[in-house]
Amino acid sequence: MTEYLQVAIFGLLLGGVYALFASGLTLAFGVMRIVNLAHAVFIVASAYIAFFAFEHLGIDPLLSIVFIMPLMFVFGVGVYMALFSRIEGSARYVEMTVLLTFGIAIMIEGLLGWRFTGIFRQAAPGYLTEAFFIGDFLVPTGQFYAAMLSLVLLIGLWAFLRFTRTGYGIRATMQNRAAAQLVGVNVRRVSAISFGISAALAGASGAMMSYLFPFFPFRHWQWIALLLALVVLGGMGSLKGAVVGALILGVASSLVVDQIGPGWGPMVFYAALFVILLVRPRGLFGKEVTA
Amino acid sequence: MALLEVRDVDAGYGAGPNILKGLSLEVEAGKSYCIIGPNGAGKSTLLKVISGLLPTRAGEVTFRGVPFNGARPDQVLAAGICLVPQEQAVFAEMSVRENLVMGGYLVKDRGLIKTRMDRVFELFPILAERASLDAGKLSGGQQQMLTLGRALMIDPDILMLDEPSLGLAPQVADQIFATIRDLEDLGITIVMVEQNAVRGLQLADWGVVLDLGIVRFEGPADTILEDQRIRELYLGKAVDAGDAP
Amino acid sequence: MIEDRAAADGLEPDVVEADTAPKKPAPYRLLVVAILLLTLLLLPLGRPVLGSYNYIILLVTNTLMWVAMASSWNILGGYAGYISLGHAVFLGIGGYVAAVPLFYYDVSPFLTAVVGGLVAMAVGLVAGLITLRTRGPAFIISTIALLFMFLLIFEQIDYFGGTAGLSLPIVPLPRDWLKAPFYYAMLIAAVGSILLSYRVAHSKFGLGLRAIAEDETKAEVAGVPTRFYKILAFALSAFWVGFVGAMWGYSLSFVRPTLFFTIAISAQMVLMVIIGGRGSVAGPVVGAILIMTINEFSLIQFGASEINIVIAGALLVTVLLFFPLGIVGTLRSRSWLPAFLDWD
Repeated sequence: MTEYLQVAIFGLLLGGVYALFASGLTLAFGVMRIVNLAHAVFIVASAYIAFFAFEHLGIDPLLSIVFIMPLMFVFGVGVYMALFSRIEGSARYVEMTVLLTFGIAIMIEGLLGWRFTGIFRQAAPGYLTEAFFIGDFLVPTGQFYAAMLSLVLLIGLWAFLRFTRTGYGIRATMQNRAAAQLVGVNVRRVSAISFGISAALAGASGAMMSYLFPFFPFRHWQWIALLLALVVLGGMGSLKGAVVGALILGVASSLVVDQIGPGWGPMVFYAALFVILLVRPRGLFGKEVTA
Repeated sequence: MALLEVRDVDAGYGAGPNILKGLSLEVEAGKSYCIIGPNGAGKSTLLKVISGLLPTRAGEVTFRGVPFNGARPDQVLAAGICLVPQEQAVFAEMSVRENLVMGGYLVKDRGLIKTRMDRVFELFPILAERASLDAGKLSGGQQQMLTLGRALMIDPDILMLDEPSLGLAPQVADQIFATIRDLEDLGITIVMVEQNAVRGLQLADWGVVLDLGIVRFEGPADTILEDQRIRELYLGKAVDAGDAP
Repeated sequence: MIEDRAAADGLEPDVVEADTAPKKPAPYRLLVVAILLLTLLLLPLGRPVLGSYNYIILLVTNTLMWVAMASSWNILGGYAGYISLGHAVFLGIGGYVAAVPLFYYDVSPFLTAVVGGLVAMAVGLVAGLITLRTRGPAFIISTIALLFMFLLIFEQIDYFGGTAGLSLPIVPLPRDWLKAPFYYAMLIAAVGSILLSYRVAHSKFGLGLRAIAEDETKAEVAGVPTRFYKILAFALSAFWVGFVGAMWGYSLSFVRPTLFFTIAISAQMVLMVIIGGRGSVAGPVVGAILIMTINEFSLIQFGASEINIVIAGALLVTVLLFFPLGIVGTLRSRSWLPAFLDWD
């Protein structure tokens, strides 16, 4: 029993991190109906920034979010204004965002590969190899810090959406874009800001990835497949769904890795995706699917 | 000078043909207008054009003498024109109160928001009762009241209503019409599109018949209601069914 | 009396005139195709006359392979408007369906290639049953998941050779004719998939698919059996890709998960069809030939570097934003489309 609980604890820590990774992705869809296939490559690019900041400047990866997040925010707003605002309101918009972000992902991956080559990177701050005990259970320090930071950021996001005027505007746009326009929300501005936030969340995710998971440019495809499956499970556009889905899949994949083998972890995500599409296509907390 | 002037406007959707073809209309302050006409005539299209949701392909819309040149919907709202759309327009996952707060999104003065919200709760006691309920859980009629109430939060100069009684049971529609009458009494300029032409014309000061992409007929609402040609062309079924109260 | 402004303006309701002019068939386009086919059929026999014979044959073989895959993808992605980003999964399935019997039982892939196509179709059918119940992005996401799921399965199971894959015996033919059978196999695939694409486009089924692409709700309301059609389109789009996979694996003398089940192959398919022109018969062909040419050129110029990938991505983004109809579509919209490209 304790073995299962131990594995579950690893799973929860992992899930907490997955939740942050997926939050930006689901936010972009919820507010702007953008399926951002480049989200994972944003994360990987940020991981490179954090990695080199650590290697060359000795900046702790988790602390580096202090400059990575604002940087990525500006990047996100820029990408939105340059590309997505062009196709606002076009027919088959969602499909366009898929193809567009697909192309962007390929471009960024190519640039990363060209600059940094395909060798595996992983930052190694001290806490990567440390651990401590809570009762009988082992808790890896690095993962603990990441999970805690995720929690803080997600709570911060929730509070921002719940209590600020811009947050209201974002939520209104998520729930009913046309009505939001009609109460005076500048939907384009809200969309750009939301995409910036989504990118900033990817930035923080990247800082965590830099030491938690070995990465190289092509890796982002594996990640985006997982994160997309997660988001569909939780319900596209639902932050609550992303968190719950992440925790469930984190624990489930940990158990699978423990019981069956290390390579099989991601299978849980894919199986969950197909099951939810069979059983409840809108996801756990998603809205009724419309075209 | 008219409060709102629509002059020779052409408009259509996407790459499609013009739905409005050189349409002209004047809206004066303090009066209420009912726009009727066959399906596809462009009634909703006209409201969308005025509110900035749809661009004009020709002609212009002028408000208080200032033309709207491709103004965004939020800019039009800030100027004082508020559209209550046909489609479901509440924020389903926000409470009634939060919905009203959203109505006052552009209002800077917190105190003003409070005062206006109180006024809305006075006009719609049912909303006051359900203030903390998620808007998605309200009935159709209550949601419509909420959208109306939300529009009042900005104290608009012109309130545009797109099919306010659509899909509502007769008693509920009656309530909505009664509320619209109250709003008229408050002196708010109202432009409404109503499929229930008879009720709409009974409520309004001025009637406007939209057909073939232009304003085909307009005049005092009761005159429009009585006009033989118009009755035959547009009001036939409704009048025979004895829809008048 | 209230004035009737319509009478005053002399307005009448619009009358929509039907486009009654029939399309003139251009017989010479069949001639162009016949000449092309003949050339392609005879090419491998031209060893004495052609310089760089091996290079040319390889290039044409690969181009034919991509023509087959792009045309297939187009059936779902172009006609029905459902984007499959995991289509490479069918390449891998076909590859392994041929490789495993060869590796363990010496069964020639020339016999099992069709089976590869059929198994790919079956997978497409089952996957489609699950994922084509909803509209919107869920399907696209599920195709990516499908690809990675199969990648994972084939990497983890030792019977399939795991991450290293399976090493296959070389075709039992004299050295000079090693490449010829694959050339003809890919030619069959290319012709087959173009024919399939053409037949679909000119059928009631194809009309239904286009209706789905334009407005699925309206199509449903109009009586189009949308779910059945979508699933059928997905399955059909898998066949030739599976066939190609079987042949490709044999021609390489190995199958390996990361080579077949890779999103890079899906990406290339998408790029080819988008650039060439979605939803047309000739578009994917044009796109495939163009991209292969660009790839060769950039390989010669820049070598095999990451820059190629950046260019591919930039190309996709540019075409999406500025020429969404692709080459064939844009030409058609300006009435510049030459007859031998107009098969719709």
